[in-house]
Amino acid sequence: MKRDTDRESPLVITDLKKAFRTGFFKTRKINAVQGLSFSLEKGEIFGLLGPNGAGKTTTLKMVTGLIFPDAGSVSVFGKPASTVSSRRKMGFLPENPWFYDYLTAREFLTMAAGIFSIDRKVAKERIETLLNQLGIAHAADLPMRKYSKGMLQRAGLAQALINDPDLVIMDEPLSGLDPIGRRELREIILALKKRGKTVLFSSHILSDVEEICDRVAIVARGKVREIGTIDSLLNMGISGAELEVKGDEEAILTLAGELGLSTTRSMTGYRVGLPSNTRIQEILGRFMEAGIQILELKRHRHSLESIFVERSEKAQEEA
Amino acid sequence: MGPLLAIASNTYREAIRNKVLYSIVLFALLIILVGNFLADISLHNDKRVLFDVGIGLLSTFGLILSVFTGTSLIYKEIDRKTIYLILTKPVGRAQFLFGKMLGLVGSVYLVLALMFVLLVAQSAIMGSGFHPNLFKAVLLIFFEVIIIISITTLFSSFSTPFITGMLTFGIIVIGRLLPDLKQIIIVKYQADSMRELADRLLQVFPQLYLFVPNGHDFNGQYVSITAEFVTWGYIGWTALYAIMYSAIILLIAAMVFRRRDLT
Repeated sequence: MKRDTDRESPLVITDLKKAFRTGFFKTRKINAVQGLSFSLEKGEIFGLLGPNGAGKTTTLKMVTGLIFPDAGSVSVFGKPASTVSSRRKMGFLPENPWFYDYLTAREFLTMAAGIFSIDRKVAKERIETLLNQLGIAHAADLPMRKYSKGMLQRAGLAQALINDPDLVIMDEPLSGLDPIGRRELREIILALKKRGKTVLFSSHILSDVEEICDRVAIVARGKVREIGTIDSLLNMGISGAELEVKGDEEAILTLAGELGLSTTRSMTGYRVGLPSNTRIQEILGRFMEAGIQILELKRHRHSLESIFVERSEKAQEEA
Repeated sequence: MGPLLAIASNTYREAIRNKVLYSIVLFALLIILVGNFLADISLHNDKRVLFDVGIGLLSTFGLILSVFTGTSLIYKEIDRKTIYLILTKPVGRAQFLFGKMLGLVGSVYLVLALMFVLLVAQSAIMGSGFHPNLFKAVLLIFFEVIIIISITTLFSSFSTPFITGMLTFGIIVIGRLLPDLKQIIIVKYQADSMRELADRLLQVFPQLYLFVPNGHDFNGQYVSITAEFVTWGYIGWTALYAIMYSAIILLIAAMVFRRRDLT
């Protein structure tokens, strides 16, 4: 049963570990990834979120076969990541992609198509489509050393999509791009999802992650600290809600006292703090019965940033 | 064949665009210099001087080009992180190394072939004509280039260009001087066991002297490209040796590179 699930899943990472040895005598050990596990569902956009040094890039490098895990396993469409065939349905955009600067984008894409043994005619058509879609057709025959950062990122994405992959992996694709570039890349990622592709990308730009990801994993110190849909993360540990009310001052304060609720004066009336979700219906009913006008009910939600910071700090403390 | 050809043609393109072709200009100048000055003062030996010096220059250029372009063959890919865009595609690491090597061999061969044409042209200008031995000598240089590039590929797969260059240079010197080194061992060690040990150690090194027989006593026979030269059988055996030796070196390189973390 597990094997069937693994085969269907674009990516399954289980208890992945990787340490690097540094220093002149390689005596200092740095545990970059320490038992990391998560899996992707077909057709989702998954964000790997974490501060610098969290182990995101190391994880992606193990997924793409650039480095080898010390322990644990990575399976891409049911195949171990160390095998050549696991990369057949995968596209990868590294962080700040470096190109052969003597090549033009068209030449590089032709080479990339050659590596996938794509038929020449199909490759030619696909290259034209990608160059146009990514807005670099005008510079397709210029050596890439003359490209701006944004153009390099687009060329990098074009080569990642040359094989029409089912799984697209991107390492910090949004970093270093201007707001327009970021918006365009977000749209490209969403378009990939619409076409049924699975996208995994790492980032520390929270707003982008929040906007486009179906699920995220917060990684810190080489471990997944939190994983789930954006909504489930934001609703997680909701401490209660806040009621904005207007009406007779004495009635409000008396009722709040009876129910054991805190109050603060606001511009329009009173703000009543509701400590838990369970009693909201009951409390609302009591206020309405007392003829107090309810202006707004606001649930306290965590921001992705607060969760991110909190989990990162917790990981730091643990270390 | 797709990935192999794609990588080989890209390496070839890189070498050619990297201005290695400029070395042809230098060769042209030198060969004209030899043809017009050195041959003139050689007292009726102008043909011999042109052929000897010309082939010597070809061999030297072949070695220099192989070492200089080969030292950074893999290192540059890792250092500039271009390898991230290649090895994350369905291409094996051994395939990558072989493709890089093939591309580099191709580019050095192109340059050497053009230099050879220049040599033949200079010979025609001087009225010396074309000697078939020239062709055999060039083939031997081509075989030696395969070995040198396989060695640089091996060292480049795990070390820096400087170390690769130094190690390859050392091996070239030993490989070219192997008969002399064997002679020194025979004189130095009296015990047969020591001689045998030293002899076996030297066998690990490429027998590069096989590819430069010109002017040497070879199997008790004096060979020269302007007189009696090596047979086609000899050419065949050296080709086989070069291919086998390079294949073993490449296999070792693939084993070294197979599990290397590309951080």
